[in-house]
Amino acid sequence: MVVAFIFLASMTLLCAMGVVLSRNVVHSALFMSGSFLGVAGFFVMLNSPALAAFQVLIYVGAVTVVILFGIMFTQRPQVRRFGSILQRQRWSGFFVAIGVGAFLAYMMGLQNWDYTEPGNGPREVSGLGEILLGVNGAPPIFSLLFEVISILLLVAVIAAIVVSRRKTGEGIDRPGSDREEVSR
Amino acid sequence: MPPQAQQFLDQLNATLPLEAYLIVGALMFGIGVWGALVRRNAVVVFMCIELMINAVNLTLVAFADYLPNAGGAGVGYAVLVIAVAAAEVAVGLAIALAVYRSRKTVNVDEINLMKG
Repeated sequence: MVVAFIFLASMTLLCAMGVVLSRNVVHSALFMSGSFLGVAGFFVMLNSPALAAFQVLIYVGAVTVVILFGIMFTQRPQVRRFGSILQRQRWSGFFVAIGVGAFLAYMMGLQNWDYTEPGNGPREVSGLGEILLGVNGAPPIFSLLFEVISILLLVAVIAAIVVSRRKTGEGIDRPGSDREEVSR
Repeated sequence: MPPQAQQFLDQLNATLPLEAYLIVGALMFGIGVWGALVRRNAVVVFMCIELMINAVNLTLVAFADYLPNAGGAGVGYAVLVIAVAAAEVAVGLAIALAVYRSRKTVNVDEINLMKG
């Protein structure tokens, strides 16, 4: 357990540092998927293998691909110096982040967690399903939250289409685009 | 096998305290805050927000597994958080795409349309 924990923790945290510090945006996205894989390993260690499968499917698969598409549409290829990827408030941001991380770690470690022990999570998928539907002793609010989440996903899909729709006469309508070159 | 080696192997197989997961989650959240504050590229800022969401998910699942009376409800909340994060990244990247179309950049310090 300790070996697996050290491996997963170093993988997660080093890949998270790589997201922040790498100069290439595509490398940032790949580091992000590595960090998500580390978190999926933590979920397996924490008796939630179904959630680890969700994590790999949704984050490592879908979100990374969506972000790579976003990078493909919004970045021009360019060589960057390291200084040009950061904003002007780099040092104040660094100290704020150090403060947030140290404060959270301190507050988490301050409590007395001696009475806790592992093994209480829903290891079976049926237990996770009962929690999500709010039956069999789970909080009944989950049945409402489940429906609200489905509506939220529908609204988000429609909103993404509406926001990123290309209106005629707007945006990049360069003369001499691909279609004219093909017809010529 | 000498007793020291047996003791070392026992230490390697010991169950971890809850604080270990919580501190990894806190450090990951701090790294996400750092990136969201200092990076210029809006897409990287989205990635760092995803890192923060994952750190919170890790904390939720750790509590669900370790707290005796939680009943594992944190795993259910983690599923809901994953769904909200997926919606957030879809809408956020659509906004970044729309901004890139009109401003030709996604650097957050050059997009000052709403600055008074």
